[in-house]
This record gives sequence, structure tokens and C-alpha cells, in this order.
Amino acid sequence: MTEREMDELKKLLKGAVPPVGGTELRRDLWPEMRRRLEERTVRVRVPWWDWALLAGASLLLLLFPRVIPALLYHL
Amino acid sequence: MNRHPYLRAYLAGIAVPTVFLLVTMTAYTLIRYVYNLPIPIERVIVFPMAAVPNAWGLWNLLYVALAEKHHFSLGIFGAVLPLLLVPVGYMVLRILDFAVPAEIFHAMPIAAPIAVILYYLIWKYVVGFLNAELGVYPSVVRG
Repeated sequence: MTEREMDELKKLLKGAVPPVGGTELRRDLWPEMRRRLEERTVRVRVPWWDWALLAGASLLLLLFPRVIPALLYHL
Repeated sequence: MNRHPYLRAYLAGIAVPTVFLLVTMTAYTLIRYVYNLPIPIERVIVFPMAAVPNAWGLWNLLYVALAEKHHFSLGIFGAVLPLLLVPVGYMVLRILDFAVPAEIFHAMPIAAPIAVILYYLIWKYVVGFLNAELGVYPSVVRG
């Protein structure tokens, strides 16, 4: 294939395939990415009433250890 | 990670009781075969082995399905589950004609609130964490 034929082929191809427009991003994706990264590292805060519930349940288990088999059966 | 959210919810739900089953099975095996407890536990072991993990998976799936429209606490939703599991577990015992030791039966009024509290805490923190990690429903971990 000569150089002239290659040029013609290039022109034909360029003519057949319309130029792609709108390649720019419509919005900045970095804030979204940053929000998702921060979301994954959210530290779970345990409120005082959950600690109280855990303490209460632990105390009941210590006082009534015979309930443990029934709990194991349902967990 | 937006594909198959219900499948991921199911897997996140069954993870906790499946891991905990190892502890339960070890305890049951020790009690039955090491300490020779004369109670045929193997007759009723099917309930914690099969029914409970599946119930957790389906309950979490139901939560994710409902949470798409209504937001409510995962902990409270999980705390309702033992109120369904306890009667079903008792029914299984009755069907299999398993004699529950009297002291365990009498401990149920104490065991029920403990189960509700433990379920509340486990669902709120552990299942919530797994849901967030699997991208099932990220906001639940904050709820």
C-alpha cells in the first residue's frame, strides 16, 4: 500500500467515524470518591445505653448460668 | 457493588450464626460426649445448625428489602427475630418429642430478655458492620 493510498484510507476512516464529543467529565468525581473512602472508615460510636444493655445481659448470664444452653440453642 | 444486593444481604446475615455455630457445636459435643450428659442433643441439633443461620440470612434480606422504603434501626429489627425463633425452636422440640430439662424450661423468662438484648447488640454492630463491608446498605452502620 502506497503512502497516497494510506492517506486516502485515513480520510475515508475519519469521514466514516464521526468525532467523539463530550469527552470531558460533567462533574468532578473526586469529592464523591473521597466521601466513599471516608464513609468506609466511619468509627462506630457505642452509646451508653448499649453498654448498659451489655452489662445487664452479662450480669444476668453470671447470675443465671443455666440459661446459657437455651441461648446457645437459639443463636 | 450494586449487583445482587439481596444475595449479599443473605450472606451477611448467615455469617454470624455460622461462625458462632462452631462454638455451639463444640459446647454441645463436650457436654454430650465428654461429660456424658444423658440427653440426646443430636436429635434437636438441626435447629441451630440449619434453621437459625437461614433465619438470620432471610431476616437480613427482609431488612434490606424493607429499608429501601422505610428507615428503621437494624438493631431493633434484629431484636424481633428471637421472638419468632423461640416459639419455632420450642415447636421443634415438641415435634421431636425432646424432653427439655425442667431447670432450662424454668429459666426461659430470664433467657428471653437476654436473647433480645444480645440479638439487638449483635444485629446493630456485627450484622450492621458486615452489611456495610459488603456494600449491602451502607447507612445501616450509622443507624
